[in-house]
Amino acid sequence: MKVVPSRSSEWVRPVTSQQPASAIIEIDRVSQVFQTSARKDHLALSEISLTIEEGAFVSILGPSGCGKSTLLYIVGGFVSPTSGAARMKGQRITGPGPDRGPVFQEFALFPWKTVLGNVMYGPRQQGVRAHEAETQSRALIEMVGLRGYESFYPKELSGGMKQRVALARTLAYHPEVLLMDEPFGALDAHTRTRLQNDLLNIWERDRKTVLFVTHSVDEAVFLSDKVVMMSKSPGRIREVIDIDLQRPRRRNELLLDPRYQKYVVDIERMFDESDEVGSPS
Amino acid sequence: MISQAAMAKRAAPVLACVGLLAIWQFASLGLESDSFPTAIEAIRAIPDILGDKESLINILASLRRMAIGFGIAVLLSIPLGLLMGRSRAVAAFFNPLLMIIYPVPKAALMPIIMLWLGVGDITKTLVIFLGVSLPVIYHSFEGAKAVEEKMLWSGAAMGLSPLQRLVRIVLPAALPEILTGCRTGLVLALITMITSEMIARQSGAGNILFNALDMGQYDTVYAMIIIVGAMGICLDAVFERVRARLVRWSEPQFDMPLSFS
Repeated sequence: MKVVPSRSSEWVRPVTSQQPASAIIEIDRVSQVFQTSARKDHLALSEISLTIEEGAFVSILGPSGCGKSTLLYIVGGFVSPTSGAARMKGQRITGPGPDRGPVFQEFALFPWKTVLGNVMYGPRQQGVRAHEAETQSRALIEMVGLRGYESFYPKELSGGMKQRVALARTLAYHPEVLLMDEPFGALDAHTRTRLQNDLLNIWERDRKTVLFVTHSVDEAVFLSDKVVMMSKSPGRIREVIDIDLQRPRRRNELLLDPRYQKYVVDIERMFDESDEVGSPS
Repeated sequence: MISQAAMAKRAAPVLACVGLLAIWQFASLGLESDSFPTAIEAIRAIPDILGDKESLINILASLRRMAIGFGIAVLLSIPLGLLMGRSRAVAAFFNPLLMIIYPVPKAALMPIIMLWLGVGDITKTLVIFLGVSLPVIYHSFEGAKAVEEKMLWSGAAMGLSPLQRLVRIVLPAALPEILTGCRTGLVLALITMITSEMIARQSGAGNILFNALDMGQYDTVYAMIIIVGAMGICLDAVFERVRARLVRWSEPQFDMPLSFS
């Protein structure tokens, strides 16, 4: 450590200076304004500050239109904030990079590539030799439960299978942070539950940092270490709740656990209150 | 073993052709006009044309111009269309230009081009090039515009540069649409090829047709129409096979049968 952490520098960066050293992502007073029409500006995000620790599973929970996905896109570097900054390991985020791997609700697979081709795409782009990339990719495909489907094209797969491929494709280039944008939002309830379980199993093996956007309360509580509740118009952080439940989590145990039930009920109640006070609709 | 449905599928185009020729035959016999030969007479004239060295050279020269015009048009139009589809600035610049050129029949430009470049190969190839370019640009443009943003984001996260994204994501994702444009372009190439040779009469398949017309050899005229038509069908069939191979990944899996059979 150098000697001069002057008071002024602490004052300038209050968010970073008070956080523990393990912070991997810092969101520092980020605001996002969208132009909806010629004169009207829509404040999608207002002065959001948030720190995400390395290895944490953090969910961003909120009603549609609260800017939760936009926040994720800013961390991904796909969208530049109107003001404020997002940092990854202290470096200001200016664009997308392989250290942050997105998984989208729309899957966004490359339809002209087979399952194997999709998963190999990232490693090949990073210069991994074809043979090695294939071995790794086959292992990942097996891990997400799609062994035997390597030569299928995306159009031949169901929604749940597509999202498994998308997850494997992102994991294949070893991002340090997974950015999941309502990844199970387009799936039916049964498939959704299965993917949540599988994601948790995969995550509990290597504990990658995950930023997970969802509008489902039980999904957020079931998966996360921390739930960030957002409210809308303008998008603000309402509450950050630590989910203090043991891991590994088993769905059938958790659903009977009164602490789990209390988290879900409390969070739902908070949303109901904000609805009554908030927008008339 | 071939199923009955497959047999019917194969026999259908043959039946259609035979039916058409039969109608022609009877119509011609009924009208008894000198300028309307029977189908059999026209078909009999085909071997004479294809056996004649000069005619064959003419037809091959036509095909060569067509291939060059089509090839250059595709090579330039696809990148332009893709760029237009992904960049608002490029689209804003080229769109008005193309809007002006699109409805103009390319053959109508021939007199001007002939004044500048003469009646040779360059003029005709240029007209074919113009005819093919617009549908290919348009379809590439539409295809590139429709590429899912998130797909490009996924590529960007893997470290693809903007140019790499254009070549390795936008191009393959838009390929089905691009090839639809190319197929239209191919038919237009054939049409502009014949038209250009009708206007600048010097050589080519169109020239044979019109010379025969001038000399009153009506069976040759009709034979040439059959030859040109057959060329079109063959080119389209070959192209369709190539296309189907290239975009196998995007075709629907099952043929949905229509319920009126």
